[in-house]
Amino acid sequence: MSMFNRNEKDPNTGVAVGEKPAEFTPAPVAAASVVKPPQPSVQPVPEIAVAKSAGPSVISKALKITGQLESTEDIRIDGEVEGDIHGVSVTVGSGAKVKGSVYGQTVELAGTIEGKIEAKKVILTSTAHMSGDVIHQDIRIESGAYIDGHCRPGTNKVDNKPIAKPN
Amino acid sequence: MLASHLSKAITVKGDLESDGELHIYGNVRGQVCADRLVVGPGGYLEGDVIARDVHIEGRLAGRIFALNVTLDSAAEVTGRIFHNTITVAKGARIDARMPWRPPSYFETLEQLPEVRQ
Repeated sequence: MSMFNRNEKDPNTGVAVGEKPAEFTPAPVAAASVVKPPQPSVQPVPEIAVAKSAGPSVISKALKITGQLESTEDIRIDGEVEGDIHGVSVTVGSGAKVKGSVYGQTVELAGTIEGKIEAKKVILTSTAHMSGDVIHQDIRIESGAYIDGHCRPGTNKVDNKPIAKPN
Repeated sequence: MLASHLSKAITVKGDLESDGELHIYGNVRGQVCADRLVVGPGGYLEGDVIARDVHIEGRLAGRIFALNVTLDSAAEVTGRIFHNTITVAKGARIDARMPWRPPSYFETLEQLPEVRQ
C-alpha cells in the first residue's frame, strides 16, 4: 500500500512527476551498463564450452586411466591407459603408454602399446613400440618402429563392414 | 601443461588419475583424482572425486573431496561435498550433504589414494 500511496502523492505534486521520469531515464542507462558487463563474461564461456565439448578427446601426459574408453569420435592419448580403447581415430603420441587393446578405424602409434591393435588403417611411426598383434587392412610402418607380434590382415566384424560397403 | 579433455562422445569406465587439469564433457564412471576437475555442460560423472579445485557445470553423482568447489547454475549434484570453500550459483540442483573440512583434511587425502569416509 505504501507504494501506491507514493504514486498517488507524486501525480498530485507536479514537481515530483517531473523528477521521476528524469530519475527513470538515467536509471535504464545505469541498468544497461550494469547488465552489459555480465554478457561478455557469460558469452565466451558457452562458446568455449561448446567448442571444447565437440572436439577430440585428449588424454594428456599427466593423466592415467585405468579402465575402458569408448568414443564415437577421435581420441588422442599422451598419457597412460590401462584398458581397452574404442575410438574412430586413435592417436597414441610419443611418450604415451597403453596396456590393452586399441580398436578404431585409424590407429596411429608413436608411443607404446602392450596389447593389440585392431583397425582398418594402422600407422606405426618411427618412435612406435608395439608389443602384440596388429590386425589391419592397411598398414604403414616407418623405419625405426618396433614390433613384437603378428601383423595380419583382419577379417573381423569391424573390418567386414567397410568391405561390404564398396561391394 | 595441456589439460586432459574428455569430449561429449566419450564414455570411460574406470579410474582416472591426473596431476593436472581434467575436463569432462562426456560420461565417466569411476574414481577421479586430479589437481583441478571441470565437469562441463553435458558432462556426467558417477564416482568419487579427489581434487584441489572442482568446478561443475554438468552432473555428478558421488562424493567430492575438494578444497575449493564451484557449482555452476547448470550443475546437478547428488552425494556429498567435502569442501573447504564452496561457491554455489543460483539454479544449481544439489541433493547432497556439504560438510566443511579444514585444509589439513584434504592434505592427508591427497596422500591417500583410497577414499575414506
